[in-house]
Amino acid sequence: MKQIPDKNITLFKSCLVSTEYPGIESSTKYVFDKTGIDYLVDERQTCCTGLGHYSDVFDQFSTTIIGARNFYLASDNNRKNMVMLCATCYAINKKVANILNKKDETREEVNEIFDKSDLSNMKYEKGSIDSTENIFHVVDILFNKKKEIAKNIKYDFSNFKIATHHGCHYCKVHYNDTIGGIRDPNIIDELVNACGASTIGWYDFKRTTCGAGFRQRFVNKDLSMDVTYDKLKALKNDDVEILVHLCPNCHVQFDRYQNYISNDKNDEFKTIHLNIAQFIALAMGADPYKVVGIQTHTVPVEDIVNKLETLPEYKEINEENKIGEENV
Amino acid sequence: MSNIKDENLILPRLEEEPNSDLRVGVFICRCGGNISDVIDIRKVKTSLNATVVEEFENLCSLNGRKIIRDSIVSENLDRVVIAACSPISHEKTFQDYIQPLNPYLMDMANLREHCSWIHDDNPEKATEKAIVLINASIEKVKQSNAVDPILCRTPDNVAIVGGGISGMSAALSLAKQGMHVDLIEKSATIGGNMAKIGKVFSPVKIAEECGLCLLNPILNEVVWNKNINILTNSKVLKCDRRGGNFSLLVESSPRYVDSEKCISCGKCAEACEVEVADSWNDGLSTRKAIYKPFSQAYPDSYVIDMENCDKCSECVKACPMNAIKLRGEKEMVPLNTGSVILATGHKLFDPKLRPEYGYGRFENVITQSELGRIMGVNGPTRGKLQKLSNGEVPKRIVMIQCVGSRDEKPDGHKYCSKVCCMVALKNANIIKNKYPDTDVVICYTDVRTPGMYEKYYKHSQQSGIRLIRGRPGEVAKNGENLIVRTEDTLQKDFIEIETDMVVLSTALEPSEGTKEIAEIMDVGVTEDFFIKESHPKIKPVTTDVKGAYVCGTAQDPKDITESIMQSTAAAAKVSEMIHNGIEIEPFIAEIDQEQCNLCGNCISTCKYKALSVKDDLMYIDPMSCSGCGKCLTVCDKNAININGNIDEKIFGTIYGMLKDKKKDDRRIIVFLDSIGYTAADNIGVNRLNFPESIYIIKVHSVNRVMPKHIIYALQNGADGVFIGEYPGDLMYDEVEKKMETIKEKISTNNMNPERLGFSHVYIPYFRGLADKFIAFDEKISSLED
Amino acid sequence: MDLKLNEDPLNLANTILKDIKSSENLGLLRCVQCGMCTSSCPGAMHSNFNPRDMIEKILEGDETVIEEEDIWNCFYCYTCHSICPVGNSACEVNQILRQFAISKGTANKKIQPFLEFGDIFLSMALGGIPSIFFPEMREDIGEDWWEFKMNLDNVRNKLDLGSYIPPQESIDEVNKLLINSGFEERIEAIRNNKKP
Repeated sequence: MKQIPDKNITLFKSCLVSTEYPGIESSTKYVFDKTGIDYLVDERQTCCTGLGHYSDVFDQFSTTIIGARNFYLASDNNRKNMVMLCATCYAINKKVANILNKKDETREEVNEIFDKSDLSNMKYEKGSIDSTENIFHVVDILFNKKKEIAKNIKYDFSNFKIATHHGCHYCKVHYNDTIGGIRDPNIIDELVNACGASTIGWYDFKRTTCGAGFRQRFVNKDLSMDVTYDKLKALKNDDVEILVHLCPNCHVQFDRYQNYISNDKNDEFKTIHLNIAQFIALAMGADPYKVVGIQTHTVPVEDIVNKLETLPEYKEINEENKIGEENV
Repeated sequence: MSNIKDENLILPRLEEEPNSDLRVGVFICRCGGNISDVIDIRKVKTSLNATVVEEFENLCSLNGRKIIRDSIVSENLDRVVIAACSPISHEKTFQDYIQPLNPYLMDMANLREHCSWIHDDNPEKATEKAIVLINASIEKVKQSNAVDPILCRTPDNVAIVGGGISGMSAALSLAKQGMHVDLIEKSATIGGNMAKIGKVFSPVKIAEECGLCLLNPILNEVVWNKNINILTNSKVLKCDRRGGNFSLLVESSPRYVDSEKCISCGKCAEACEVEVADSWNDGLSTRKAIYKPFSQAYPDSYVIDMENCDKCSECVKACPMNAIKLRGEKEMVPLNTGSVILATGHKLFDPKLRPEYGYGRFENVITQSELGRIMGVNGPTRGKLQKLSNGEVPKRIVMIQCVGSRDEKPDGHKYCSKVCCMVALKNANIIKNKYPDTDVVICYTDVRTPGMYEKYYKHSQQSGIRLIRGRPGEVAKNGENLIVRTEDTLQKDFIEIETDMVVLSTALEPSEGTKEIAEIMDVGVTEDFFIKESHPKIKPVTTDVKGAYVCGTAQDPKDITESIMQSTAAAAKVSEMIHNGIEIEPFIAEIDQEQCNLCGNCISTCKYKALSVKDDLMYIDPMSCSGCGKCLTVCDKNAININGNIDEKIFGTIYGMLKDKKKDDRRIIVFLDSIGYTAADNIGVNRLNFPESIYIIKVHSVNRVMPKHIIYALQNGADGVFIGEYPGDLMYDEVEKKMETIKEKISTNNMNPERLGFSHVYIPYFRGLADKFIAFDEKISSLED
Repeated sequence: MDLKLNEDPLNLANTILKDIKSSENLGLLRCVQCGMCTSSCPGAMHSNFNPRDMIEKILEGDETVIEEEDIWNCFYCYTCHSICPVGNSACEVNQILRQFAISKGTANKKIQPFLEFGDIFLSMALGGIPSIFFPEMREDIGEDWWEFKMNLDNVRNKLDLGSYIPPQESIDEVNKLLINSGFEERIEAIRNNKKP
C-alpha cells in the first residue's frame, strides 16, 4: 500500500465544496486538527478544471497546464503532499502528474507555455510530483488516522442504518492507488467503523455512479436521474438513513436532487447525505452549523443530529476530565 | 590504418612459450574439390610451420582416419589441427579419429564454410585466409590441455511432491521402471483434486464418466506398488541440492490414528461432537474433527484434524481397535534422492475477489467446483441438484465464464485457465441430462474447446444448453431470485437475465504448496507464479534446477489428460538421467578452495544456479554449470577457474590470427556462440559472401570472451571485434550490458570503442548476419581514430 | 463494412492511442469484445449507448463513430475502465472521441451550454456550476438552495472559511496561460460555431 503522509500537506480547494457544501472543507479542517495533521490551504490555488474538463470544454492540454501551476504552488510551499476534498480533483491531478512525468513531449509543450507567459519559475520538472506518492484524497489521510479518530468520538451513530457511496473518480480511475477495494469499495465503510458505527456494506448498485455524469445532469436530465433513481431505490430497499460520500459532485446529485426524484417518480426517499469528513466531525462533536455546515444541505440533516446520543464511555471521560464544551 | 601492429606480438601471461616444442600435425582436407578448387593447398602447405602437414581427398573417410592415426603414432604428434569443414559437421568425428590422443587436443580450421565457399571468386585471398585460419588453430591447440569428459550419475530414487493425479501418475511410471519413489502429500490422503471432481468428460465417447472410478484403480496401484513409499500429512521443509543429489527434510504430522489398526468402522466419528466444514465438499457439508476424507481415501483410515479437536477422548473410548492416540509428535524425515518431481497442483481463484458477482452474499451463487460436489453422488446432496437457499431444483442456471481468468485487473490472471469451458459444458450436460426442465445458460467470451473437445461442445448445444456471448457486469438480488446483468454482444443488447442459480467458472491458479515448494527449492516461477519450465517449447517438464522436474497444474492450468501426459514425460526425463547418467563437457568452473572466502557473489550471479555452499565449502554442481564464466568476473579472490585453459586458448587463437598480419591487411575478429557459428556456416553453405577481413572464432558462450581478450586483439592489430549471440541464451542480457563497459575500457586504452560491434544472431537469418559483417567491415574501414 | 486492400482499419485506433489523454499501455488493440464494459455501464442500462460497440467500430476504422449521438451518453464514471479485463478503457476512449468531434467542428452544439466553465475560469480562475443552469436548478431543487447560493459568503464566514476566489495575481496568471495554450481561442471558436 502507498505511504500516507500526515504532514507537509497542501489541502486542495474544490470548486463544488467551496460553493455548494463549504462545510465539507471546514469539517475536514476540524478533523485534521483533531487528528494531528499538518496542512495548508493556498489561496493562490485554482480549481483543477474538473467539471469543465469532464464536460469536454477543457482539453487535456489546458487542464495539464492548470495542474502544473497548482503543482508548482505545492512545491513552492514545500508541501508536496496534495490532498483532495473531491474525487474528481483527485483523478484529474493524478492524470496530470502522469502525463507530465511520462509524456516528455507534452511536458515540454507545457513548459513552453509557461515561458511564453513569463511564468518560467512555474515550469514543471519531470518527477517533481508523483501521482502515487504525492496525490491523495482526504479519505486516504483519514484512513491512516483511524485510531486517532476512534479516540475522539463523542456521539453514537451506531443506531442508524448507514450506507456508503464511493462514487467513481476516487476508486475507479487510478485504481492501483485505491485503498479499501476497487470493485467493492470500502474505505468509507472502514472510516464509519472507526467512528464506532457500522454500515450495511454491499447494496445493489453500490459501485455505480451517482448519475451526475457531468453533462448528463444538465442536458440529459432524465438519463441522469434514472441512474440516481436506481441507487435511491436500492438504498430505500435496505432502509438506509444516512448515505456517506467522499465526493461533492455525488453529494450534489443525491442531496439536491433526491426530492426532485421523489416528486418525479412519485417515490419517497428520506436518506440524508453527509460527506465522510462531515460525518466524522459530527461524531467528534463538531458544531453542526459552525463547522459541519448542515444549513447548506437540501435534505435536512437536523433529524439525525437531534437523535444523536453521547457515547456512554465519552460521558464518563467527559465527567472525569471536564473536556469538550461543544454542543449539538 | 592507425592502430599499428605491435612488432613483437607475444601471448599475454606467457613469459616464455612453454609449448614451443610441441609436435603439431596439420591435416588438410581437399573435400573432393570443395576446398582445393579454390584454395591453393600447395601454397598453404609450404607456408605453415608444423611438424607434419598432410593433405587428403576426404579426411572424414575411414582412410582419412588411418592417415591421421598413422601420422600421430609415427611422428609422435602431441597436437592435431584438422583443416577441413566446419566443426559443427565433423568435430565429433575427428575427436574420435585422433585417438589415442585426448579428444580436446585437436582443433578444426574451417576452410570450407568460412573460406572456400565464401571466397570462391578470389582464390588468392582465400588461400591467404586459409593459412591464417590454420595458424590460429595451431596456436590454439598449443594452449590445449588433455581433459576428460565428466560423467554424472544420479541415484535411482525420486521424491515426488504432491499426491494428486499428476504425482501419482509420475510415481507409478517410475516405480514400474524399478525406481524407488517417495510420494509426499500434504493432506491426509492422496488423490488430490480429481477425487472430488465427480464426473469427467470424455471427448471420444462424448459422455461423462465417473471420475472416482477412473482414479481409484490408479490410486490402488500406487498403494500396492512396493517401490512407492507414501507419506501423507507431510511437507517438504528444506531442500539442499548437490550434483544430482537432493537432501530433503520432510515434516510428517501425526495422524493420531494408527492406520495399521484402523478398520474404518466410523464409530470414532459418531462419537465426536466437533463439526467442521468439510473441505472435500468445498465446505457445503460438515465433517467431524476425526474423519476420513472420502471413502476411497488412502491411507484407508480415519485421521484427527488436531486444529479442531477438543481432545474430549470420546473417539478413543469408541474405537474398538484401540487405534487412536491423542498424543503424537511431528516427525522429521530426511530423504536423499536423485531427482525431484514437483506435482503440487493448483487451487481455485477466490470468487470474492470479484465481488460484483455476489459470491458469499447470495447463497445461490456458487462455483463450478461446488456444483461438481452438488452433482456428485458422494457429495453433500447425494447428487441431487438443488439451490442452497431452499433445496429446490433451480429453474435456470446461469454460468459465468472467465472469473479471474483472462483478466488483467488487480487479483486477476492474464492467462486462460484452459479447462473452464469444458468444465462448464460438462456440468451443463449432466444437468441437462438429469433435469431437462432446468434452463442452462453459459455467458462466455470465447468457447475454447480445441481438437476433439469441439465435438463435445456441439453435443452440449444439441442437448439444449444455451450460450450468450457476453461477460456479465454484475449479479444482483431480485426478491428471491437473482439478476445477471450482461450485454448479449451478438444482439448488441444490454439484458438482465432472471435466474435462481449462478455458477462461477473460477480460474485455476498455483496452489500455496506450489508457491512454497518453488521457494524452498529455489525453482524459477513464471510471472503468474506457476513453476517455470526451462524452455517452454523444447524443454518441457525441466525446471531451471537440474534434476527437478514439474508436471500437472503446478506448471500451468491443464486438464487431467494433459496432467497425466506431462507426469509421464517428467518420469521419462528422470529415468533418462538415472539410467544413462550424463556426460558433461569438462569446460566448467572449478573452485580453488584455498582462495575462496565464501563471499557468495558467485552464487547470486549464476543464472544456472550451479553454485552453493555445502559444509563450509563452495560447491559447483557440474550438472548445472555451463562454463559461461560469469562467476569469474565477480570473484574478488580469483578463486574460480574454468577447466581446460579457455582463456589461453582464446588468446592463442587471436595470436595465431594476427601474428603474420601485414600492414595493409584488415582483420576483424568475430566471436560467435554455436548458434551464431551455425548461422555463419549457412552463409557459406548458401554460397553467399562476406569480406575477407572477417575471421570467426567459435566460443562455447560469448560471455567467456573477456574484456582482456578484446583489448589484446585490438592492441595487437585487429581492426575490429564483432560479437554475436543468440538472444535465447540465458546470458544474452548480461553480454549486451557488458558491451558498454567493454567499450569504456577500449576508450581508456586510447582506442576507438566503435571498433567493437555486437549483434544478436539467429540460425535462419544468415543473410542478415552476412549483411552485418559487410556493414561492420565498411564501418571499420571508414574509421579514422 | 467492406474492407479494401489498401485500407488500414487500425488508423483510427492508433490515433487514439497516440492522444495526449491516452493512458500508458491502454488495451484498446487487445479488446476481445467481451462486452463487460457494456454489462456494467449505466449509460448502456438506460440508453442506446454501447461502449463495446463503440470500441468495435473504432477497431473497424469506422470514423462515423465520432459523429454518433450515443457517445454523448457516457457518464465518465470509469466503471468500464476499472474492470476491463484487457486494460482497455471505453471511458477514456470516449473522451478522446468527443475531443475529435470538437476538433472536427461537429460538436459545437454539445459544448456550447458548458462554455461558461471556460469563461469563469478565464475571468476568475474558478470552477463550479455554470449560472446558465441556475434557473432550472432553482426550480428543481427549491428556494432554500437559491437562498443559500445568495448567502454563500455569509455561510462561508460562519464556517470560518476565507474567500474562495483566488487573488487577482493568480487570476491574471491563469488567464495568460489559458490564452497562450489556445484555450480561449478554442472556446471562442465553439461559441461562434467554428472549427476550433
